[in-house]
Amino acid sequence: MGSRLLAALSMCAMALALAYALTVGVFSIYIPIELRPLAKILVTSAYNESTPLFSSMTPEIVTAVVWDYRGIDTFFEVAVFYVAIVATAALFRGIERSAPRTSVGLSTIVRTVTRIVALMIVVVGSAIILHGHLTPGGGFQGGATIAVAVALALVAYGLAKLVEHRIDYETSLKVRSLGLLGLSLSACIALIAALILNTNAYVFQNQPKTYAPIGLPYAVDGVLISGTVLLLNIFDGIAVAAGFALLLILLSQPEDVARERVLSSEGGE
Amino acid sequence: MDLETFAKFVINVVAVVLVLNAAIALYGLLARPNLLKKIIALTIFSDSINSFAILIGFRLVKGFENPVPPVITSVPPSESYARWFLAKSVDPLPQALVLTAIVINLAVTAFLVALAIQIYRVSGTLDARTLAYEKARRGEER
Repeated sequence: MGSRLLAALSMCAMALALAYALTVGVFSIYIPIELRPLAKILVTSAYNESTPLFSSMTPEIVTAVVWDYRGIDTFFEVAVFYVAIVATAALFRGIERSAPRTSVGLSTIVRTVTRIVALMIVVVGSAIILHGHLTPGGGFQGGATIAVAVALALVAYGLAKLVEHRIDYETSLKVRSLGLLGLSLSACIALIAALILNTNAYVFQNQPKTYAPIGLPYAVDGVLISGTVLLLNIFDGIAVAAGFALLLILLSQPEDVARERVLSSEGGE
Repeated sequence: MDLETFAKFVINVVAVVLVLNAAIALYGLLARPNLLKKIIALTIFSDSINSFAILIGFRLVKGFENPVPPVITSVPPSESYARWFLAKSVDPLPQALVLTAIVINLAVTAFLVALAIQIYRVSGTLDARTLAYEKARRGEER
């Protein structure tokens, strides 16, 4: 025990000494006192009514970068996320419909508390999604929060009860596809409007740009919606919540049935 | 030690600790035989790298007050607010990159856990040494 404490202390001392050497030595980490030029552009143009052609009209600059300035990057990162989920579903093929007929679940106290808390979690998750363009948060965070409600219900009620209420593999797959479809459509919404009105537009266009005068209004009736950012956040939240629900349902299949299916499909070995 | 040197020293301590954390996680990733522990080490590794990216986006403010998160809280921003915000806001770009990286990391972790469960169902163990030994033994039988 003493030697472990000594090792931990020496490690701390080494970290401090190394940090001191970095601070006073020739080799040091560059910590800017001014913003970098690119960050300066982002911070000044994210919500700026005087330069509407360069602005994304989103007060939350991280969301503005994620869904407007670097929208296509985020779209492909979302694609990576869904490929990971599809890979998990493919790995568990054949065992997704092996839910038990009945499940006991936990005690009445746990189930009642879960019923109250799950509703509150869904409300908080929805608030995080809907305020994604105003406060820190958005589709990813809100969707992950809503998936926590599904995880709680899975533990407290058991899989059979959820399947009875149609929160199963099929439904989450359908909802996830709906969210992805909405995401693709809201990415192309300016393009579709431009095709109808016979002008030019870009994919992932939010506010009007030079030579592309089509753009979504950033405020409706005085309420800030930041154009496509709100739509993208909502659909991304739906898709992420359903994707995580899908993962949780797949991971909570009954082990005995799953093992039997897997071993029988490995029969050739 | 003046205030600027002290601020840089504190940030350097965080940077060194994060690098050490990543090194320990890398050791766990390579040396631990249990696949689940390898996954945990991978999560710690990617989280320390993500924190390092956030640290790169950090900045110092003149007078060494706290910087503010990159969220405009007064809409529409007045000119004086915009100037104050530009002087105090941190870099939003690393945060935006880390935001998506965390979600992808979570999905990849879920995939790796599913893979580990499937390996356990087929072979009854998660020990990488036993798995390699079993594979070699099976190869000899053929």
